[in-house]
Amino acid sequence: MIRSEVVVIGGGFAGLTAALAAAKRGQTVTLLTYGEGTLPLNSGVIDVLGYDENHNFVENPIAAIEKLPETHPYKKIGVKALQEAVEFFCGVARKNHIPYHGSLDHQMMVPTAIGTLKPTCLTPHSLSGSEVFPGKKKIVVVGIKGLKDFYGDIMMENLKKALGEGREYQLVEVDTGLTGGRDITTQDVARWLDTDAGTASFTKQLKAYGGETDVLFIVPQVLGTKGHACYQTISSRLGTDVLETTCLPPSVNGMRLQHVLVDSLREMGVDIVENTKVIGSEKDGKTVKAVIAKTASNERKYYAKKFILATGGFYSGGITMRDFEQPKEPIFDLPVSFVKGEENWTNKELFGNAPQGFAKTGILTDEALHPVDESGTVVLENVHVVGRDLGGYDFCFEHSGNGVALASAYKAAMM
Amino acid sequence: MEKATVVVIGGGATGVGILRDLAMRGVDVMLVEKRDLINGASSRYHGLLHSGGRYAVKDQEAAKECIEENTILRKIGKSCVEASGGMFVRLDSDDPDYEKSWVEGCKVSGIEAKHISLDEAFHLEPRLSKHVVSAYLVDSAKRYGGRLKTYTEVISILKDGDEVHGVKVRDVFSGEEYEIGCDILINAGGGWAGKIAEMAGLEVGVQPDKGTLLAFNQRIANHVVNRLHKSSDGDIFVPHGSITILGTTSMSIPDAEDTSTSREEVEKLLSIGEQTFEHLRDYRLLRCFAGSRPLYIPPGGVKGRGASRGFAIVDHAEQDGLKGMLTIVGGKFTTYRLMAERMSDKVCEKLGNHEKCRTAEEPLVPQVSEEAKAEARKYFPSYGTNLAATRLGPERFARVVDTLKREPEKREIVCECENVTRAEVEEIAKELSSYKINDVRRRTRLGMGTCQANFCALRSASVFAKCGHAEIAKDSLGQMKEFLQGRWKGIRPVLMGRTLREAEMTRGLYELNFNVTGDLVLDADGNAKVQENGGNAK
Repeated sequence: MIRSEVVVIGGGFAGLTAALAAAKRGQTVTLLTYGEGTLPLNSGVIDVLGYDENHNFVENPIAAIEKLPETHPYKKIGVKALQEAVEFFCGVARKNHIPYHGSLDHQMMVPTAIGTLKPTCLTPHSLSGSEVFPGKKKIVVVGIKGLKDFYGDIMMENLKKALGEGREYQLVEVDTGLTGGRDITTQDVARWLDTDAGTASFTKQLKAYGGETDVLFIVPQVLGTKGHACYQTISSRLGTDVLETTCLPPSVNGMRLQHVLVDSLREMGVDIVENTKVIGSEKDGKTVKAVIAKTASNERKYYAKKFILATGGFYSGGITMRDFEQPKEPIFDLPVSFVKGEENWTNKELFGNAPQGFAKTGILTDEALHPVDESGTVVLENVHVVGRDLGGYDFCFEHSGNGVALASAYKAAMM
Repeated sequence: MEKATVVVIGGGATGVGILRDLAMRGVDVMLVEKRDLINGASSRYHGLLHSGGRYAVKDQEAAKECIEENTILRKIGKSCVEASGGMFVRLDSDDPDYEKSWVEGCKVSGIEAKHISLDEAFHLEPRLSKHVVSAYLVDSAKRYGGRLKTYTEVISILKDGDEVHGVKVRDVFSGEEYEIGCDILINAGGGWAGKIAEMAGLEVGVQPDKGTLLAFNQRIANHVVNRLHKSSDGDIFVPHGSITILGTTSMSIPDAEDTSTSREEVEKLLSIGEQTFEHLRDYRLLRCFAGSRPLYIPPGGVKGRGASRGFAIVDHAEQDGLKGMLTIVGGKFTTYRLMAERMSDKVCEKLGNHEKCRTAEEPLVPQVSEEAKAEARKYFPSYGTNLAATRLGPERFARVVDTLKREPEKREIVCECENVTRAEVEEIAKELSSYKINDVRRRTRLGMGTCQANFCALRSASVFAKCGHAEIAKDSLGQMKEFLQGRWKGIRPVLMGRTLREAEMTRGLYELNFNVTGDLVLDADGNAKVQENGGNAK
């Protein structure tokens, strides 16, 4: 019989964080994951709250959280848990050589691959946009020959609009020598920059355009697959700041964060069981005894005192909806909250000034993140719900995904 | 004033067919279309060339036209038509008497329907419902100098007494208004034909009849599968490449512009469709779309599904005493060539042109040679070669292949789902008829596959900003948003099941990761503020 104190289901940002926080408390933890998790799709920067319900820009996230509706997950998690979670996260990241910085009362602006600015709270140094823009007279946008999904020309044109014309802009291209009949990705270039030869070639090709501290290089997310050593080497050799953008997947920065968390879990001796789909649970009244997991060859039960559900909502099958208005949570059969009526399910505009109704689908909880039913009664006393499985918020619209994931995961582990 | 002997209004299948037919006969002809070509009912249907079997009982005239034209189109448009063949199935709940009259009707209309055993039916279509009791196989399946103006909307018809002598048009993008003179004006406006006739003070009985369809992300059937009962909603499954289209509904609507769809229509189609294929709900829905059939309603005629699918040509000189204007309405995509032929015959008779129609013999798209395809396969994704050859035609195909050969970086696959290369997107983006990424999409299938533009929206916006001729092409954020919004329109009504995952991804990438609204700017101190007139509000 497999028994641990905590079983965490899900290998995305929320699941990995919850498992790590529980392990750091000295608990025995089993982490069950089905796929790769969504970090390779995730920017890896920690957005807390970028816009309010009316799409007004939020300048001070922690202050704006107070004004959110009572059903919002942040209201259940609380500001104190969010602050502790950020402290915990920054400690883990620092120890793993990719320090994050920023604050909860101020937005950091990260440049994106399309030249817009994205509001967030915590970033590694290589993505801390608004900290390095002031004083820069010249911006060099660095394209990579043959790299898919980063188009320096449109990036630069849109960036000019976001940063103003009062600077000099230049578009240059680095040749990695990786081209040759196939598309190359940011991950390929990051691997190339993990090598000494790659870094040397890269800085040599860019040296001619920089040299002064008032020059800023903007590159796609390619500065090494792990940590921030590559970023440090390149910026010191170029003698000025270098900045990465958010990109289409694979997101190298999301994968750096994945490495940090997985490496830390291994170090803590957490049992990570991969390729395991949790298909159901064994309950006794309001207590879950075990979850039932299916592997390629057999079915297995994992017993624990506490279960943390981090299965990623609709995207990862944590919530399914085969028929209209019938969303289901397949593991514990938890009540799923959703908006009724076709007219409320979606907005006419994909990118509009109101949250999308369907995006708020999820499980509602009490302050301990226990799942509750419509009347607010806890339905399972040793289950906690975290991350995208939570209902009542549209993480894309309000730019709050990683913030909710981090804070809920941490709080659930601490309960 | 610009002039043409004949001006055709409407760039659907019928209008384009007339343009081609007349141009082949040496007539100086110009087509004006308020949006892009093939944007109304002509691109919002099953993509099916009817065998006629569907009309064998009720409308044998239309059935005959269908089977004859089907045979011609498969000859002239060899590379555009997938010979999937048709299967008609009767379920245990369907009326057996209908089957008898259908078999009879097929004989009369000249359609060969071969009765097959149920074993064979399930062998050919393993996913068919076990409620099938009977099954049949039915075999189905500029160069000439015409001028074309898309995004050019007709705003009035110019008359001199009892004679039409031109049209006044508006450039949709610049707003510029100007006149085009002509001897003969052809109204091929489809669902809009009634509105166009009104501009000349005439009345034409066109009833836009909305049909809603569902696209599934899998090939559910190998044949076109029809239900053997009185034609009704949601009873035809059409396999296309890697997807299946199920349709359609029939609903009279006041305005042909209305292509909205609802959850109710989706539910209706699914509940009927799952009678033929029981596991229908487990397939991922790509999108839902609707088009309006331009049904011709002669004075006192029937509307809706009961209306004939035949077509009519109205000579307004005869009917209303207005010379120089003709209207063509009704018909089906399958019979568009015949409709164009009849209309062109009429026009040529008036012009004293004695050239014979050649559209039944000459290939629709000149064939790309097998050698050219073999050469192309060295650079093209193999699955994409045939499709690209068909949609590009020999000249453009040769240019694209040459670009791929000379510039390896243009081998980048912009749309992985539909195998569209950067070289091809550039080729089409440069053309004068491309104003929006959506125009490129209609010509390449860019963004129409599994991921519904999640990845190619960024890529195509970059190509378009670089290669597009129009000023709006440079607005990369606007183009990207508009392209994704077009996808969203069809996704909304089917937003359930696995389609929800794709929607989460689209928004995660473009709204969250890219903040595509582009509403934030930085001041000199590095503080963010919201840009005036920025953001989502348009």
